[in-house]
Amino acid sequence: MTTESCNSTPDYTIACRMNHEAAALERLCQVVRIRGFRIAKMAVETQDGVLDIALTVQGTRPVTMLQSQLEKLHTVEEVILTTPVLAPATSRTA
Amino acid sequence: MNGAQHILEAFHRHNIQTVFGYPGGCIMPLYDALVDDVSVEHVLCRHEQGCALAADGYARASGRLGVCIATSGPGATNLITGVANAHRDSTPMLVITGQVPSSLIGTDAFQETDVLGMTLGIVKHSYLAESADELPSILEEAIELAQSGRPGPVWIDIPKDVLLAEAAVAPTCRPTPKEAACPDLTSATALLRAARKPLLYSGGGISLAHAEKSFRDFAESSGLPAVVSLKGIGNPGKHSAHNLGMLGMHGSRAANRAVDECDLLLVIGARLDDRATGKLEGFAPNARLIHIDADAAEMNKLLSTELTIRGDLNTVLRELTQVLRETPLEISEWRKQCQTWRTTGGFQAADNEEPLTPITGPAFIRQLSRIAPDDTTIACDVGQHQMWIAQYYQFDHPRHHLTSGGLGTMGFGLPAAIGAQFARPDSTVLNVTGDGSFMMNAQELATIRRYNLPVKLIIMDNQCLGMVRQQQELFYNNRECQINLDDNPDFVAMARAFDIPALKIERTDQVRRGIETILAYHGPMLLHVAIAREENVWPIVKPGGSNREMIDETRRNSADKKEKVA
Ligand SMILES: Cc1ncc(C[n+]2csc(CCOP(=O)(O)OP(=O)(O)O)c2C)c(N)n1
Ligand SMILES: [Mg+2]
Repeated sequence: MTTESCNSTPDYTIACRMNHEAAALERLCQVVRIRGFRIAKMAVETQDGVLDIALTVQGTRPVTMLQSQLEKLHTVEEVILTTPVLAPATSRTA
Repeated sequence: MNGAQHILEAFHRHNIQTVFGYPGGCIMPLYDALVDDVSVEHVLCRHEQGCALAADGYARASGRLGVCIATSGPGATNLITGVANAHRDSTPMLVITGQVPSSLIGTDAFQETDVLGMTLGIVKHSYLAESADELPSILEEAIELAQSGRPGPVWIDIPKDVLLAEAAVAPTCRPTPKEAACPDLTSATALLRAARKPLLYSGGGISLAHAEKSFRDFAESSGLPAVVSLKGIGNPGKHSAHNLGMLGMHGSRAANRAVDECDLLLVIGARLDDRATGKLEGFAPNARLIHIDADAAEMNKLLSTELTIRGDLNTVLRELTQVLRETPLEISEWRKQCQTWRTTGGFQAADNEEPLTPITGPAFIRQLSRIAPDDTTIACDVGQHQMWIAQYYQFDHPRHHLTSGGLGTMGFGLPAAIGAQFARPDSTVLNVTGDGSFMMNAQELATIRRYNLPVKLIIMDNQCLGMVRQQQELFYNNRECQINLDDNPDFVAMARAFDIPALKIERTDQVRRGIETILAYHGPMLLHVAIAREENVWPIVKPGGSNREMIDETRRNSADKKEKVA
């Protein structure tokens, strides 16, 4: 799945491992969307009942928030941010 | 044993004795298995939304798992509001639905809906059971998951053939997780000690963690002035001298003022919801924040926090109590200041005891609070009456106050009260509802009658969707639209049609007698309370506004009412 990357919003790349259960990818994509990001690129590999997902997402919200929401999914084993996270903004509101 | 029998087996193993459900085609194998079961009580509600909300009320009142069951298609879709309600308030719930047989999935079969896809956003987790052999382990995992960490609804969708298939698998018993070690609290203690005006802010997470007692000990021994969210009402107990009440949109002046002035906010088991914080930029502007919660994803979600601690609230609170007992905080000036706010900015509704005047919401609730026994559980609906309960009823325990906080589901109260009465058969259970909300699940009167539940129903009838009317008055220049309910049914006659006795009151001098009559009655009874249409909930913060800008009665909108011509 690829869409054109838009320049105004930052891109983040995320590596995610999760169980290959029914609706696994839908679950993942749904969290990405509802937490304010767009999927720009996605590659999936399956091995021994585990999905290895490489994601590029775009969004203006803090990506660490997306990370913690993905980690909360019961079937997600690991979420790694592969782009460096910018230092948090000085504002108190996230 | 077939798949259906494995489900009952899991119920037995986990001591699940009460479930709420409604039968239909694809779930029939489970109902067939129920015929031979002696230990599970199946409560038939009259709408699947009623089943889910009753299971939710059962779980909230008891602290145990709520279970609801429905058939595929319309049964499953009818559950959705109730499950979303549980999800938003983190209620531990197990949802079981039948699905069309595996071979028919994806063929647009009769009563097929994509339950798994449709419910992804309202569950903690969900399963499609693909074979009977995997069902026992799915059940074990689901039951554990629904109740652990931050609880929530877990949904298992089971094709009919899986319910019927024999499965030889021995039931699995999962080891109970070890008690987690206490996170390091040194920095938290240091921040607390450095603060001159520390404030405790607790929410629904306290009872979700079964940490009511540890919280009470901590609140008492720390002597911290305290505010609560809507879901945290009852945490400090009704005799707490430090409790400033609810903060937020309809919070007390005392609570919002204290948040505004504090220099440290200790947030425990609360998620800083927008109804509680108001505009974030103006929230606790002088405070450093410590956030303690079971859910890591809540940390820094909306506000960046000085210190986050993820852990079991019981463990953390016990440890903190210990530390503060050894060396108490020196904050007597601040305590005194909060006391002053508490006496001048709390909710002290003048009781309008003029005998022939119309009943006002706040005065009625105050009276109810004085008369009802201590262990009373109140399930409210959504609207002005819900806020009056939050403001004026003195709750001594968070599980006594059942309210739809996150989703704000009109129609929650009646089924939730049914669930609560099953959870606490010997306690007084009240449903305090509005004339709008009552009609959203009124069919459950039949459930109350069938099981002869002594639930008391109180309808605060202002002949309108009061909360919407209030906002139209204040924020839409009095342009009323679609809020009029002056053609409500005769609620007394309606209750009687379900063989539930009922009584109507409309003047202040009838309040005491009315309340005493329904409370003394041995079975279910309905009290229809006519109240003024134009009354508002005060104070109020404009949605999106800062909690500092509380609006009160002096700001009523006197603009001419404009109603759409019919
Ligand atoms: C299912 C649902 N639909 C709509 C709303 C929006 N809403 C919130 S309060 C309210 C009015 C409730 O009226 P009533 O039950 O009579 O309570 P009152 O405010 O009059 O006390 C409405 C329509 C809602 N919360 N839930
Ligand atoms: Mg009303």
